[in-house]
Amino acid sequence: MPPRTCALCSTSRAMLKRPKTGQQICKECFFTVFETEVHNTITRAKLFKPGDRVAIGASGGKDSTVLAYVMKTLNERYDYGLELFLLSIDEGITGYRDDSLETVKRNQQQYSMPLKILSYDELYGWTMDGIVAQVGRKNNCTFCGVFRRQALDRGASMLSVDHIVTGHNADDIAETVLMNIMRGDIARLGRCTAICTQGEDTIKRSKPFKYAYEKEIVMYAYFKKLDYFSTECIYSPDAYRGHARVFLKDLEAARPSAIIDIIHSGEAFEVREEVKATQKAQQTCKRCGYISSNDLCKACVLLEGLERGMATAGITDRGRKKLDAEGPAPDNLRTIPFYTAGAAPAVSVGPD
Amino acid sequence: MADCGNPNVEQDALMQRRKKYDRTRQCVKCHDQLGNVVIRHAVYCKGCFFPTVVGKFRRVLEPSISKDKSKKGLKATGNLCLAFSGGLGSSVLLDLIGSNYFAAEGDAGHDWSRGRGGGTEHPRNEPVWEHATVCYVEVCNAIPGARDRTEEIRQIVSRLASYAKFLPLRLEDAFDHAWWERVGRSKPHGQLFVDLGHQDLLLSIRNTSSSPVAALKAYLASLPTQTAVPTAIHNLIRLLLLHTAQLTNSSHLLLGTSLTSLSISLISSIAQGGGFVVREEAQENWQPDSTSSQKVAVSRPLRDVGMKECAIWAWWRGLEVVGKENYLGGKQGIGALTKGFIIGLERDYPSTVSTIARTCAKLAPKEASDGLCTLCERPVQPGVQDWKERISIRQFDEKAAIARSQPGLIQRLCYACHTTLTSPSSRGGVGQSAIDAVQLPVWVESRVLGSDEMKDVVAEFLLDDED
Amino acid sequence: MSQDTTISLKVEFGGGLELLFSNKRSHQLTVPATVPKSTEDNATKQADITFLIRYLRDNLLQERQELFMENETVRPGILVLVNDTDWELEGEGEYVLKNGDEVVFISTLHGG
Repeated sequence: MPPRTCALCSTSRAMLKRPKTGQQICKECFFTVFETEVHNTITRAKLFKPGDRVAIGASGGKDSTVLAYVMKTLNERYDYGLELFLLSIDEGITGYRDDSLETVKRNQQQYSMPLKILSYDELYGWTMDGIVAQVGRKNNCTFCGVFRRQALDRGASMLSVDHIVTGHNADDIAETVLMNIMRGDIARLGRCTAICTQGEDTIKRSKPFKYAYEKEIVMYAYFKKLDYFSTECIYSPDAYRGHARVFLKDLEAARPSAIIDIIHSGEAFEVREEVKATQKAQQTCKRCGYISSNDLCKACVLLEGLERGMATAGITDRGRKKLDAEGPAPDNLRTIPFYTAGAAPAVSVGPD
Repeated sequence: MADCGNPNVEQDALMQRRKKYDRTRQCVKCHDQLGNVVIRHAVYCKGCFFPTVVGKFRRVLEPSISKDKSKKGLKATGNLCLAFSGGLGSSVLLDLIGSNYFAAEGDAGHDWSRGRGGGTEHPRNEPVWEHATVCYVEVCNAIPGARDRTEEIRQIVSRLASYAKFLPLRLEDAFDHAWWERVGRSKPHGQLFVDLGHQDLLLSIRNTSSSPVAALKAYLASLPTQTAVPTAIHNLIRLLLLHTAQLTNSSHLLLGTSLTSLSISLISSIAQGGGFVVREEAQENWQPDSTSSQKVAVSRPLRDVGMKECAIWAWWRGLEVVGKENYLGGKQGIGALTKGFIIGLERDYPSTVSTIARTCAKLAPKEASDGLCTLCERPVQPGVQDWKERISIRQFDEKAAIARSQPGLIQRLCYACHTTLTSPSSRGGVGQSAIDAVQLPVWVESRVLGSDEMKDVVAEFLLDDED
Repeated sequence: MSQDTTISLKVEFGGGLELLFSNKRSHQLTVPATVPKSTEDNATKQADITFLIRYLRDNLLQERQELFMENETVRPGILVLVNDTDWELEGEGEYVLKNGDEVVFISTLHGG
C-alpha cells in the first residue's frame, strides 16, 4: 500500500492521524494547525494587546509546559508584543510538587522567561500535606482548588500582570460542562465555556487551549520533545469528576468531535433571565478583600476551619454551623494577607 | 491538567453518597400507612403512590391545554396523537391518558383519577380531546435482523388504549413520496439527493425508482459513523410523528419520555452539539410550515416521573410492556453510552437525573435563531459553519469559499444534524465503500425546493433519469 | 419455635427479565434457610436476598448473566420488591427471607 500523503500540504508523507479531525497529516502540518488554531482562538477573542504583561500558570505538567512554549512561539511569530512570565504555585505536596517545580525551573531556563513561585505555606501558613493530615483525603481537593485560585491571583498581582493564562484544554472544559449540568451548578455553567473570565476585583484569566484536545497537547509535546512532568497529583480522590471523565473518554472514542460538540453546546446556552435574578451578587471578603459571594470568602472560611480545628467548616453546612456555634473567630486567628488587585507594587523577579 | 490544577474546582469534590431514604418508613403523604416504595428519598404507600404520579403527570400536561371558555373544564383545540414505541414510558403514557381523559363512565378501579374532562367533577363533561390516535413507527428495515412487530404492537395497543385508533407507520415512509402525499403535502419534483462524501454536502435532484426501503438503507449506510445511525433514526421518527399529528388534526403530540429518559436525551443531545435546542428537548411547539395556522404542542407529560416510578406503576397496574426495539447502534452509540452512564449514576446518586433535567430547564439559547434546520426542523443557530471551520482547521487554502456557490445542504443544517452527517469516528464509516449521493427525507426536499432562489439554482444541476 | 430448614418462595420477573428465565414470569422455589456466608469459610448466615440473587443466577438463569447480576447484586436498572414493598425499605440484599415471601425482579431497561 503506497504511503499516504498529508491531507493538508499534499506533499509530505502523513505521519499521524489528528485526534481532533481524524485527518492524516505530516508532523510539520500538525505543528502548524495546532499553533494556528490557538492563534485563531487568541485573536478571535482579542485576548491581548501589545505591552500586556501575561503570567502563565505553570505547574510543570504537559498543559502548562506546552502553553508556555506555544505562547512564546506565537508571541514571536505574530508580534503580540507581550511580556511573558511563569507563575508557579507550590501547594506543599512532598514528592509531587518538588519534582514538578524542578520542571518549571528548567522551563524557565529553556524558554528564558522570568519565574515566580508562590507557596501555600507563605500565603496561608498551611501546606497540602498539612491539610490532608487534618482533613483527610475526602475534601482536600476543595481546599486546594480554592487556595490555588486565590494564589494565582495574588501571585499575578505581585508581578503586576494584566492577564493570567492557564492550560485548561478542551477535555477539561467539556468535562466541566457535563459536571456542572449533573450537579446543577447553574452559576458555573453560565461561565465555564467563556474563554476569558474577569471578576470585579480579579485579574483577567484566559484559556488559550480551550479548543485544543488533550491528546494533541500530548502529541505536540512528544514530537517537539518538550520537557514536562507527567504524574497525577497523589491526592486526587476518586471524585464524581472521575465518572464524568470516563464518560467523556468513551464519547471521544465513539466520536472524536464529541469534545468540541459539548463545548459548542456549552457556548450556545446561558442562564435564563428570570433565573439570573435569583443569583447572589458579588462582594468582597471582609477579612482578606478577595472577591466573594458572602461576607467571608471561601478561602477564609476554609482557613478558619483549619486553624480552629474544624476542618469541615467550609465544606458542609453542618460543619459551618458547628463553627459558628463555637463563637466568633479569636482575634489572633491567622488570616490571609489583604488583597487588592493591581495595587501591589511590581516585584522584581530575578532567577530563583 | 490534573484535577488539582483546576481553579474551577467544585464546592464538593465528592458527591455525597445518598442514604436510602429519609428517616421514617411511613408514607410522606398520608403519614398513616407504612411505605411500599422509595422514590428519590421519599417514601410512599401504595395508596398514595398512584395519585402522586397522576398529579405530576397532569401538572406537566394540562398547562398546554387551553381552557374551555364556556365551561370550566379543559378543551383542546384539536385531537390527540400519542407516540408509542413499546417501551415502558409509552405504555404508562397510554394507561394514564386512558384512565384520566377517556375513562368510560362508571369505570371502577380508578378511584385515584378525577374523572373525565380534566378537572371538573361533572360526569357529562365534554372530553378534552374528541379523538385519539396511537402512532407507532416500525424500524425493522433499518436494523439488520430485526423483525416486523407491527401486528404485535397493534394487539398490545388495542388492550392498552382501546379508546384510540392505531396508526402504524414505517421508518422508510420518510423517503416515500406516496406517504408525503397522504399527509397532504404537494407532489414533489423529483428526489433530492445529497453527496455526504463532499464536505459541503452538495445537493442534486434526480429521478429514481428505488424503493423507500432501499433509500432508507442507503441513507443510513452513508453516514460517517455507526454512532450517527441512532440519532438519524431518532430524527426521522420525530418528523414522521409530527406530520402524523398534523394529519390527524391533533393539537397535541405526547411522548412517553420519563424523567430518566429525558435526562439521557438531554445529555446525549448536548454531547452532539445540540445545546442551542436544549429547551426543545423537553417540549416544543411545531407547525408544518410558516404559513400554517395549525400548531402541534409536543409534550412529555412523564418528564417528572422517573423510570423506577414507571416500572412500579406498570407492575402494580398489570400493564404488559413489550419493550422498545433496540436501535441504539450497539454499545458504542452516543445514546447508549449516555444511557449506561446515567443509569449507573442513578442507582448511587438518584438525584442526578432530576438535577440534569432541572438544570437544563433553566437554560436558554444565547442568541436568536435564523431559521429552522431542514433535517430536524428545530431552530438553527447562526454561524455554525464558521465556528466549525475556525475551531478545526481542515485545509489551508480558500477552496471552501469557491465551492460554496454550489447548492449545498451545509447552509441549512443545525450543528447537531451537521455533526450527524459529517463527523467521523476513528473506525470509519458505516458502509464499506464510497457511497454515491443518497436520497434525503421528503420533508427536506420540500423545504429546500420551497425557496425560489433554491429552485433556480438547483435547476441547473438537474441530472438525467437514473436507475 | 421450630426452625424450618427450607424456605418456600414465589419469585416473579417483569419488564423483560422473564426472557432470561425460561420465559416464565412466575417461579415457585424452595431454598435452604441457612446458607454459607461465602465460599471461603464455614460461617453461615440466614438466607437473604443477596443469596437469592446468586442462587437464581446459578440455578435458573438460562443466559446473559450480566443482564441480571453485577458485582454481587442486581444490575443497575433492576428493581426488587419484597411482598409488594421496595427492597430499599427492607434492607436491600440483607433482608432475611421468610417462608411464603414473594420477591419480584423488574427490569426498567426493556430491550436496551
